[in-house]
Amino acid sequence: MRRGDSLYRRLLGWLLLPLLVLGSLILIQAWVDAQRTADRAFDRLLEAASLAIAEQVQWQDDRLWLDLPPAALEMLATDAEERVFYSLVDGQGRLITGNANLPGDSRQGLGGEDTLLYRNIDWQDLSLRQGVRRTRFEDWRVREPFEVRVAHSREGRDALAAELWRANLAMILAMAALATVGLLLAIRAALTPLTRLRRAIRARDPRTLAPLALSLPRELAELRDTVNELLARMRRVRANQERFIGDASHQLRTPLAGLSARAELALRQDDPARWKEALVAMQATSARTARLAVQLLSLTRLANPEYRPDLVPLELNTIARQAVRDHWTSCHRQGVDLGVETVEGEVWVRGIDWLIAEAIGNLIDNACRYGGRRVTVQVEDKPPRLAVEDDGPGIPPQRRLLMLRPFHRDREDVKGSGLGLAIVDGIARTHGARLQLSSGHDGRGLTVVLQFPGESP
Amino acid sequence: MNRLSRLACRWLLPLGLVGAPAGADETLHYAATTDIGPTSQLVVHGALDLPQMRPLLEDFHHKNPDLEVRYRNLTTLALHERFLVEPDEADVLLSSAMPWQYRLANEGHARSLESPDARRWPAWARWRHELFAFTFEPIVMVVNETVIERFGEVRGHADLLALLERHAAALQGQVVTYDPATSGAGYTYAIEESRLSPRYWDLVAALGKAEADLVDTTGEMLEGLIEGRYQVGYNLLGSYARDRLADQPQLRIVVPEDYALVTQRLALIPRQAPHPAAAERFLDYLIGEPGQAVLARETTLGAIHPALEGPGTATSLRQERGEALRPITLGPGLLATLDDLKREALLTRWQREFSRSEQR
Repeated sequence: MRRGDSLYRRLLGWLLLPLLVLGSLILIQAWVDAQRTADRAFDRLLEAASLAIAEQVQWQDDRLWLDLPPAALEMLATDAEERVFYSLVDGQGRLITGNANLPGDSRQGLGGEDTLLYRNIDWQDLSLRQGVRRTRFEDWRVREPFEVRVAHSREGRDALAAELWRANLAMILAMAALATVGLLLAIRAALTPLTRLRRAIRARDPRTLAPLALSLPRELAELRDTVNELLARMRRVRANQERFIGDASHQLRTPLAGLSARAELALRQDDPARWKEALVAMQATSARTARLAVQLLSLTRLANPEYRPDLVPLELNTIARQAVRDHWTSCHRQGVDLGVETVEGEVWVRGIDWLIAEAIGNLIDNACRYGGRRVTVQVEDKPPRLAVEDDGPGIPPQRRLLMLRPFHRDREDVKGSGLGLAIVDGIARTHGARLQLSSGHDGRGLTVVLQFPGESP
Repeated sequence: MNRLSRLACRWLLPLGLVGAPAGADETLHYAATTDIGPTSQLVVHGALDLPQMRPLLEDFHHKNPDLEVRYRNLTTLALHERFLVEPDEADVLLSSAMPWQYRLANEGHARSLESPDARRWPAWARWRHELFAFTFEPIVMVVNETVIERFGEVRGHADLLALLERHAAALQGQVVTYDPATSGAGYTYAIEESRLSPRYWDLVAALGKAEADLVDTTGEMLEGLIEGRYQVGYNLLGSYARDRLADQPQLRIVVPEDYALVTQRLALIPRQAPHPAAAERFLDYLIGEPGQAVLARETTLGAIHPALEGPGTATSLRQERGEALRPITLGPGLLATLDDLKREALLTRWQREFSRSEQR
């Protein structure tokens, strides 16, 4: 695992990133707000100053007249010592008086007699906030519109905005710090069950397969249950293995005990003819035992999930005919009618020839042994199938799955290892083929089908 | 700017007569006296007489021998016009025309001075760090001792008002003050005094009743007082009066007890100053303790520096007169003084009040 790739860091990263983005947005918002607030507060000064000037506007000698109140200008300058500008402009846009020819505001007001417009302007390299009051002088005879334009520099506003923002900044930073600490603690707390689970697994006896008993949050409980399921499966596998070993040793012990008894019996005799008779019998028994051992071996190998032999293309018809040829004699001796049905053309599957031959042999052997009188090996194409059908008593559907277990015998009166179908099952799995057990044509007997992977019709 | 310069002409002509001599080009020049290092120049334009300016410049030059210093004494009008035409000629502008200096700074023509001395300078005597008041000159009355002997003490405006109202006939034509219509300084004081108290108008009416002479400069008033043409002078620039009347025991300088306006000379460094570093050194000197000490000791201008005490300082004057001192506020209110219509309105009122008695 890459260093630094930890759940803790991942969680922290993905939670802190949005927090950071959010924090930046809040800061920007706070800055905009602070400026807006400062502008609102200071625009009151523009409003008051322009009003104070407008109130002093008179009509005298047939023209607009202003007795400028110094206080109007003084209120525009706060502690920040702003630069102050004013001008009085008549309805035609001519400057009546003022210390600066401030630009007009082209915007229309909200209507009404008296409108006041604020905006930021750049005037002669100075950044100013301007307020334009449009009103008119009304007298008995005279109605004269005019504009009072006042402006001041932004130092006071900027200072207030910065101050408001700094206050906000401190609060936002404190909140961010708290949130981060909270986040760290929360993640640590949330990941604690994981540590407990790890400790619980590490502290276990390596030999035990007992389920983990540990109360965990839901997400980890699922993991624990999955682990427990795996452990249960392993327990079952181990139980199977133990039974298999027990069965196998039992199976091997019986013929070995027979051999031993036969040899003991023969040794008590002096007649060489008896010896020979005993030796022949012992040879048959040891041959059967050897076959049992081979079967056990192949079963063990097939049962190993790591066993992945190289599969080669094979022609099923050929293999089926060869298998029938190999077994025909022994079947004939037992009075069993063994036949083969192949299809026209060639049926190719990928597999291992001796394993498939072994499967067919086992199936024929089983059929003969469990009372089949007529056994047919069938090959079908599309999909490639291999079937062995007999007319014996068959197996009830609910017991068919049991037949695949090693050493399981349906009937105790028949001699056999009980490995046949288990081996066929292993071979089927090795080839990725499906093994089906069903009854024969007319509901009697048993049909065992190996359906190989391949194109379906 | 056309309108502005036209305004300036109309305005500064009277303002320029505040104490500045009528003489043409008065200059002081100090050559750099050091051999080591490169020399720099300093060009100061001021409306400040040479006798007042000389001790300051000599001391400054003594402390900064590497600077070649040129001082040009101009009227406030000439100073202002020259600056508007050639804003990059002078390094420091000194002027007693407070509204005009304020207006220049307000429009962004001044450079900010960020130095420890500038930061320590009292807030009431500066605007931002661009405009520094460096003198403290009360506006005074001058009364001939014979008047006091005949009619009693004159300590303040109320006394003067009573004197003029009661003895208008005796003082007919023997009172002198500024003509606000032609003198910028007179107008500035009028506008400030009218803001301070509505009783100012009674005083104007009383002056009118006594048929006071209206002149343009403190100098003219002082001449008349020394010659004996006038018995009472109202609203004279205290610094000049103290200078000229040192050897005139028959004339008493009265700093009014009820209220005394205080005018201040303002210094600024133009944004386009050719030698800004030298300018900053000079302004620093001017508002620093050494320069202010020279100002207090060797001139009658009045030092502001809060660390200085004793004669010739604002501190001592404040101790003497306390709350009565009313320095002209260094703020946007000065801009109102320059308003054309405002001036017309005030002068109309002034003329009306002055001639009130004639109408009766």
